[in-house]
Amino acid sequence: MVANQSPILEMRSARKAFGGVNALSGAELTLFPGEIHALLGENGAGKSTLLKALAGVHKLDSGSITLHGKPFQQGSTRLAREQGIAVIYQEPSLFPDLTLAENVFVGRQLQSGKTVNWKAMEDEANKLFQQLGVKLDSTSTARGLSIADQQIVEIAKALSTQATVIVMDEPTAALSSKEVDRLFQVARNLEAQNCAVVFVSHRLDEVFALCSRITVMRDGATVGSAPTSELNESKVIHLMVGREVSELYPKLEAKIGEVVLKVEGLGLAGQFTEISFEVRAGEIVGLAGLVGSGRSEVVRAIFGVDKFDAGSVTLNGKKLRPGNPSAQMLSGVALVPEDRRQQGLFMSSSINKNIAVTLLKKLSQLFIIRERSEAKLAAQWGERLSLKYETGYDPVDRLSGGNQQKVVLAKWLATEPKLLIVDEPTRGIDVGTKAEVHRLLSKKAQDGVAILIVSSELPEVMGMADRILVMREGRMVGQFDRSAATPEKIIAVATGASSL
Amino acid sequence: MKTLVKKVFRVRELPVFLALVIVVIITGTANPEFFTLSGFQDVTLGVAVVATLAVAQTLVIVMKHIDLSVGSTIGFSAYLIGDASSQGHGFWYCMGLGLALGLTVGTVNGFMVAYLRLPSLVVTLGTLYIVRGLFNEVAGGNTITEDMVPGPINFMGLNTFFGIPYLFLVAFLLMLVVGFVMRRTRSARDLYAIGSNLLAAELGGIPVARRVFLAFLATGAVSGLAGAVLLARFNTAAANSGNGLELSVVAACVVGGVAIAGGVGTVYGAVIGAILLQAITMALGALGIPQFWQLAVNGTLLIAAISLDRYLSTRVKPTSIMGAK
Amino acid sequence: MKKKYTFGWDQGVSVFLVLTVVVGGFISEYFATIDNISFVIQDVAEIAIIALAMTYLIIAGEIDLSVASILSLTSATVGFLFRNGTSFEVAIVGGLLVGLLCGLLNGYLVTVIGLPSLAVTIGTLALFRGLCYALLGNEPVNELPENWIVLGYENIPGTFLPWSAIPLAILAAIAWIVLHYTRIGRWTFAIGINPEAAKFSGIPVARMKLGLFAMTGLMSGVAGVVYTLRFASASPDGAVGYELSVIAAVLFGGVAIAGGIGTLWGVLAAVLSLGAIRSVLQLIDFSANALLVVSGALLLISVVAPKAIEIYQSRRNSAFVTK
Repeated sequence: MVANQSPILEMRSARKAFGGVNALSGAELTLFPGEIHALLGENGAGKSTLLKALAGVHKLDSGSITLHGKPFQQGSTRLAREQGIAVIYQEPSLFPDLTLAENVFVGRQLQSGKTVNWKAMEDEANKLFQQLGVKLDSTSTARGLSIADQQIVEIAKALSTQATVIVMDEPTAALSSKEVDRLFQVARNLEAQNCAVVFVSHRLDEVFALCSRITVMRDGATVGSAPTSELNESKVIHLMVGREVSELYPKLEAKIGEVVLKVEGLGLAGQFTEISFEVRAGEIVGLAGLVGSGRSEVVRAIFGVDKFDAGSVTLNGKKLRPGNPSAQMLSGVALVPEDRRQQGLFMSSSINKNIAVTLLKKLSQLFIIRERSEAKLAAQWGERLSLKYETGYDPVDRLSGGNQQKVVLAKWLATEPKLLIVDEPTRGIDVGTKAEVHRLLSKKAQDGVAILIVSSELPEVMGMADRILVMREGRMVGQFDRSAATPEKIIAVATGASSL
Repeated sequence: MKTLVKKVFRVRELPVFLALVIVVIITGTANPEFFTLSGFQDVTLGVAVVATLAVAQTLVIVMKHIDLSVGSTIGFSAYLIGDASSQGHGFWYCMGLGLALGLTVGTVNGFMVAYLRLPSLVVTLGTLYIVRGLFNEVAGGNTITEDMVPGPINFMGLNTFFGIPYLFLVAFLLMLVVGFVMRRTRSARDLYAIGSNLLAAELGGIPVARRVFLAFLATGAVSGLAGAVLLARFNTAAANSGNGLELSVVAACVVGGVAIAGGVGTVYGAVIGAILLQAITMALGALGIPQFWQLAVNGTLLIAAISLDRYLSTRVKPTSIMGAK
Repeated sequence: MKKKYTFGWDQGVSVFLVLTVVVGGFISEYFATIDNISFVIQDVAEIAIIALAMTYLIIAGEIDLSVASILSLTSATVGFLFRNGTSFEVAIVGGLLVGLLCGLLNGYLVTVIGLPSLAVTIGTLALFRGLCYALLGNEPVNELPENWIVLGYENIPGTFLPWSAIPLAILAAIAWIVLHYTRIGRWTFAIGINPEAAKFSGIPVARMKLGLFAMTGLMSGVAGVVYTLRFASASPDGAVGYELSVIAAVLFGGVAIAGGIGTLWGVLAAVLSLGAIRSVLQLIDFSANALLVVSGALLLISVVAPKAIEIYQSRRNSAFVTK
């Protein structure tokens, strides 16, 4: 039924670079009406850049996008909508104070004459919800709506604009299994209405249950596209991973010592539950799992930025109080957070001040901060991490992403932690700096620091870690020794794939 | 039936309305004079100025902005109207003068907030000063006295329509009109969208700058015209007219459920809030409590209102990533 | 590796202060006299003292509109206690304590309950002012001990400085050092620049904010005592509208309303500039109203100018890129 129709959308040899880094280099995508099309790839493979090009957020550097046989007007979210492409993000941004009906029609509320017709709008929204097979009250506000329901509202909005291409970016990452079933039903309804649905997911079992075609991306390019019937899970995983675990991750031998961190039965309502593990001195433990599986939430609770409501965290035999990062810092815990701009750095502040912020007490004499010691400290760490910068008085927002990450690392390494937690330590930085960061972490482990590394990049976790823990939906679901771990096994556990 | 009950309970204005009813009942029971026509007229007449300004302020607060310049504008306008009238100008000329002043202030505020994207708190604080300073300079030590007030305005301030003070009717009609517009026109609905989620509003193609500008312009215009209300209410105007009124107005809005965080609230709530604050003032008198406590009560009420709002909004269940298994 | 020299807003304000003084001297020969300087310092003392604390608060991304009411409530408390028979010294301590408590209440509502400081302090503005009337009724307390009120109008013996210059100078020096050279200051800036990163850096954000509100309350209390002595009276309706003067001075002094930027020197220069302008205007028989206009205009300039520079620079940069 697909083959003899002409495609709705064709993307050809799409290229897009950000500051010299290629995000897309030869991406291809063909969508037919009445299909659910899976778009797969590891983190950093270029999926989200591709989606943003379709959403009108980015404009391609080169390549073409054809929609209904006509060239697609790029670079405006509004135009993208008007041309019939709707993108539903993992966490939609609705207007929390407006009713669902108004959220569906915002900016183009239904009118009778010159005035807004609420009754018509509510009826129409209810009709759309019904059509999607869900029960939502169009007169209640969007505040507090579950993510699943927010997605439904976005889909209803897409339908109300007569969208023919509906893109869902990891829609199931934050849904319960019941909600996933409902979303599948909605997707199938859209398929039956001749829409093209693009479904981005890491969960292969879902992909095989739902999608009729699969396109796989790696390193910014499309590496394969075929009907689901011609593929199986192991073939897809092979296409996604595609390369050997490379030399990028130099693991140094380290002597493994006493238990430094002991986490027992840790839980936080709605986020994670019954998390237990240990990290020893000199050991690097990797925490793998999909985005949204609760990895970051666990390390935030350990560091005390969030509270936990069950279980305990013990550091060198001493129980840590929940929810107190400054106490945790003093007892030797450091957390390099996942979002360096929002959580790691004071962007308008100088490099010196950013590095010194964790050490101000030590740098002070009679309460006065000795600026010279501060500059010296920053210069030392700059050298140790081969930071590229002009002067320490420059604001960090002048630095490249990789160098900014080094500043965050410096600020925490300077506290001489006993336990170093790094969350996505190499996200969005170039290959060379990546290797430097890995070497540094490895060396710290040699020095006897216990390291817990959270990463979405499997090769990174597998290259660095002595042991790999895998989380799914807020639970610890697997543990592998370095020797026993393969990407296939980890992905299978992390995604809950039915079989290999 | 069940949905009707649900709908009633969802009305944001309900708590403040109930509070108003309770205040009225308690006071009325303790002092039956409160229930008389003159008690009613005292409250409604007293609230007219704040209610009018609160209606206009609602436009701005739902966008998560604030306009502190209204007190200066209304005072200056009241003076200009009286002054022009005393020089023999006609009623409409005087009103035009008030409107022109309001539009000017609104344009300055709107331009800086909407197009230069400056924080409204600072901008309107600045215009508060400037307008007040110009006003004082123009007014000097002069006072507008009753004989200088234009006839129609004088009449409105002193008379009632079937027992309802004209001034309150003005505020009430303004509330009805603005209330209708804010519920029933697309451009006014955009104000709620902007206050609720600015980023989503911009991405969704709402002309944010133009809406913000027009809302400030409208607030300015109403404040300018409301100079007539202020003049009618007190039959006098001098350099300190309208001083500090901006805080009462913001308080009325917030007590009436127009959240300072933007996105919610109606002009009906703002007016009920204004009436509640006024009624409490009167009630203190009727109950024999020194008037001195009035401000303290107003402040406490304002804090209670935002605390309640905060409590209600955090009670919403957080969504779970673990799902219901 | 040298610290680059940049011409900041605070230097601009300092230059502005010097210009004001010079121009003032030309306009009126009385301006630069010792008596007048003494008067100007006395005139700005309360606003300056509160502005010291407000600088911290705004840099940390919060605001307090209730400061004038706290000032007045402190004054009213002093009057109330004294009228009811306590010694004046005890009354002053009581007043300062009340100021501190007011600040703690604001801080509690903002950090523990999680309310926006703008709304909270509009509420406490009314609440504290109301309590002034509740304490004193409509009768000001005028019979204050003579040995104290001389401090309000006399100069320090042998100098041309009013007594209020002493607390002002001490507090300004402490505030300056703490803000720019100690951990507390660094934390204040860090919280204003990025509260989330501050939390992730082990900075006790909530405790810091609570402390800053408390400190602002206490400083307003100190200003209240100074005010009481200056007018030799404790009345319930003193210092109305001072909060706006304080905020105007702080913002004109180069503190960004969005937090994270500012210097204490800039704020002091701004307070003094406004005081000098006011004096000049009075000396040349301009009404006090012109000062309002000038304050407002300076306030607007202090937000418009950085914006204009930003727009200009981004235009220049983009022109550079397209070339």
